[in-house]
Amino acid sequence: MSKILVVEDEKNVRLLYKEELQDLGYEVIQASNGGEAVEKFDIHRPDLIILDIQLAGLNGIETMNIIRKKSRDVPIILCTAYGEYKRDIRTWASDAYITKSADLKELLSIVKKILAI
Amino acid sequence: MPELRKDPIIGRWVIISTERGKRPSSFQTPEKKSTGGFCPLCPGNEDKTPPEVFAYRPFDSPPNTPGWSLRVVPNKFPALRIEGELDRRGEGIYDKMNGVGAHEVIIECPDHDETLSSVPTSNFEKVLLTYRSRINELYKDTRFKYISIFRNQGEVAGASLAHPHSQLIALPVVPKRLMEELDGAKGYFNYKERCVYCDIIKQEKKQDVRIISENQEFLSIVPFASRFPFEIWIFPRQHNSSFEETPEWKYTFLAEIFSDVLKRLDMALANPPYNFMLHTSPVSEKINDYYHWHFEIIPRLTRVAGFEWGSGFYINPTAPEDAAKFLR
Repeated sequence: MSKILVVEDEKNVRLLYKEELQDLGYEVIQASNGGEAVEKFDIHRPDLIILDIQLAGLNGIETMNIIRKKSRDVPIILCTAYGEYKRDIRTWASDAYITKSADLKELLSIVKKILAI
Repeated sequence: MPELRKDPIIGRWVIISTERGKRPSSFQTPEKKSTGGFCPLCPGNEDKTPPEVFAYRPFDSPPNTPGWSLRVVPNKFPALRIEGELDRRGEGIYDKMNGVGAHEVIIECPDHDETLSSVPTSNFEKVLLTYRSRINELYKDTRFKYISIFRNQGEVAGASLAHPHSQLIALPVVPKRLMEELDGAKGYFNYKERCVYCDIIKQEKKQDVRIISENQEFLSIVPFASRFPFEIWIFPRQHNSSFEETPEWKYTFLAEIFSDVLKRLDMALANPPYNFMLHTSPVSEKINDYYHWHFEIIPRLTRVAGFEWGSGFYINPTAPEDAAKFLR
């Protein structure tokens, strides 16, 4: 069973992701900030990370930078409600970039596609 | 006494607020250099970028592997999409079309900590020739009407990553800013039967107070009605309407003056953040008598605020003549 680390500061969104991903048969680990994400990455070595950019403390891009030093290959999906990051080339270190939406269809289809490879 | 100056091409007024008399040292704000972090543009990370569309690399070096000296890749998360038709349509008085375009990143060198002003002139020339090559390639696609080339240096100027790179966006329309220049230049030509930029060059040479440097083929000046302190334009000395139609041998001279001007800016203003943009004729009117291609370099030393947004006026606290004197 593939393990997914969900990094999201809003509890409701995190739980929504968790339920939807578990329904698809994935194991879900949760983190509410960048520091916790790095710790949980070290412990669980997930197969995929869903990472919110707008986090308190270490933001998603800084968190991704730390994780990329530990693993350049773990797939990372960046999520944000803000369009401005689209111009930020640092996001290229991720495997996908999506704009947050209440409809999780796009996110789930990217997750399935990445984990099927 | 402040002075109002009018740009002779598009008729824009600026306020040269000479009383503020800002010297280069008043603007020096050392840029925080972001260190560490994962750089998707560095050699070894080619798999983090989309496949390259152009590269300078040894003959036996396979694409998308290290060994390159310059790479061009499509933007991984582009603002516009290359696929699809434009489907121009109207909704009442509002016009729209599909967001079709090409968005590419020119990775200027493999060294993350290099800057464009510090690379050898021959490498700078490669960057300029790459602009030309990509423009010519992308214009084979008839959906594109204009190709915008620009560079952001420093975080304040919009560069999210320090690795030297410039960008290109192929657009299905000619941008408004360029249309204003084309219309202004056409109006001047219809009235005087001369290119306004050629006349500017002639007058600048005669007055010799705003010229920074020149070589056999190019001239750099601080424009008479500069919007921003230390704004710089680089022109071909002879009339030339199209950057990409410029003979290849002239690019050596362009690289030489461009590199020199950036070095002067770095010296005078302690490595300021800046943007530069290429202004050239659109594909539909590449060769003409009225427009003159040029690069505009805008050091990001002042903030554009309510007055500028609301009025279209700019307040420049450094007289162009003083800026030219500092940069000479």
